[in-house]
Amino acid sequence: MGIKRGVSLYSYQQEQFFKRMDLRAQIKEVRESLNTDGIEIIDQQTIRDYPNPSDEFVDNWHALMDEFNMKAVTMDVYMDVLQFRDHVMTHDECAERLIGDIKLAARLGFENVRCLSAVPLDVMIKALPTAEKYNVRMGKEIHAPNPIDGKLVSEIVEYVDKTNTKFIGLVPDMGVFQFLPNNPSLEWSMRHGASREAVEIVKKACLMKKNEDEARQMILEGIQNPTDADLSLAFQVHMLSYSNPADIEKLVPYIVSIHGKFYEMTEIEGKPGQYEDKSINYADTIAALKKGGFEGYINSEYEGQRYQQDRGMEYLADEVEEVRRHHEMLARLIGE
Amino acid sequence: MFDNFLIRKDSLKNVVEDGKVVGFKLGVRIADYRGQILSLHNGYYIKVDGVVYPREVQKFEINGKPPRTFEELKTCYYEHWNYDDEGTLYVEKEGGLEPGVHIIEFQQSILNAYGYRPTDEEWVKNPPVPGSGAGAGKTSNIVTYEIELTE
Repeated sequence: MGIKRGVSLYSYQQEQFFKRMDLRAQIKEVRESLNTDGIEIIDQQTIRDYPNPSDEFVDNWHALMDEFNMKAVTMDVYMDVLQFRDHVMTHDECAERLIGDIKLAARLGFENVRCLSAVPLDVMIKALPTAEKYNVRMGKEIHAPNPIDGKLVSEIVEYVDKTNTKFIGLVPDMGVFQFLPNNPSLEWSMRHGASREAVEIVKKACLMKKNEDEARQMILEGIQNPTDADLSLAFQVHMLSYSNPADIEKLVPYIVSIHGKFYEMTEIEGKPGQYEDKSINYADTIAALKKGGFEGYINSEYEGQRYQQDRGMEYLADEVEEVRRHHEMLARLIGE
Repeated sequence: MFDNFLIRKDSLKNVVEDGKVVGFKLGVRIADYRGQILSLHNGYYIKVDGVVYPREVQKFEINGKPPRTFEELKTCYYEHWNYDDEGTLYVEKEGGLEPGVHIIEFQQSILNAYGYRPTDEEWVKNPPVPGSGAGAGKTSNIVTYEIELTE
């Protein structure tokens, strides 16, 4: 046993957008290149005709998962509160959507659904009987800028401790352990009017654990006549939660699965063939997860592509290669 | 995201009805990483050669159905615009566009969400006018394209 590796097909969103990889190619890549079995999906990315896919889609899904001997780990579901347009959805209506999503997840063989950070706990509680009936666990995503030791986490932990339910838990996103703005987004900002000086100031502000206002002040003080693009970099600081990796150890019993968020895998200096994401602390986090005895899945969630789509096709990121590098790192840190 | 790829470059064409050119159309993609519930689709900011064409003169074609207005789409609560499908945006303009290259400034508006927001009640009463960045999802900047009208 030990920590398991998987991939959220979110990582291949660009390949899918340009119709260069279909569902089969994505699943095949995970099995044959990454040599693992964990699959996570974004419901509305992968499932044609959500929320009511055809039997043909569902049959094809199962055939693919069987062919490559894969495991449907987590399905990420959403809460569009303006769906009915003439009123804001009530908590009951949000629960109704979640209940439908849980049934759909079960139909596709998923063990878990990921609820968004912003889903109120009482909505999840309303869906709990369905989750139990269909044997699908609900995990609330803990996503930056929320911290790993904040209220979002403590209210889940308290509820689970009180009720002993197995069907509510956490899906931490590795982005909560990000300590620097990701490089692709900074490069995007520099192509759109930000100066390198402002970028360096913001990185420094992050390492000093400053907040957004303080970072903005540092830009104002450090640069003569900063542009709007320079000042908007301060928002990068707002998105960091400065969480302490050690804090995840005690949360292990509550974790449903983990989003392996990353932005850019670069070769570690002096270590050919070994890669890291320079903005996220994976090493300490995985060490803490091991210490806590975590045996669930970390599913790669590559997000660097979106900052490289403002130029020609030749500048697009290579999602397949990025995920392969991510799995080199995961396997090495897990100690496979 | 997908900044440069939201309009298919060879898709700009005039629309002919009963022998008369009544407007133009173009193939568009979702500016997000997931498919979208159709009711949330709130129209486009589209400015061609300096002229803005508001939501009221736009229609949207998807899922093999005839083009629909954005008022009509509002009640499509369970119909999905699948992530990797192209939709067609129709814009009414008597006489259409001239052949040649056009400058198109473009932003999509889809009122999807990650949960409750302070703007919810206001957007029920007065949906944002596309172009403000509201509802622009993961591509909150207006993107400028140079596109040739092919027919």
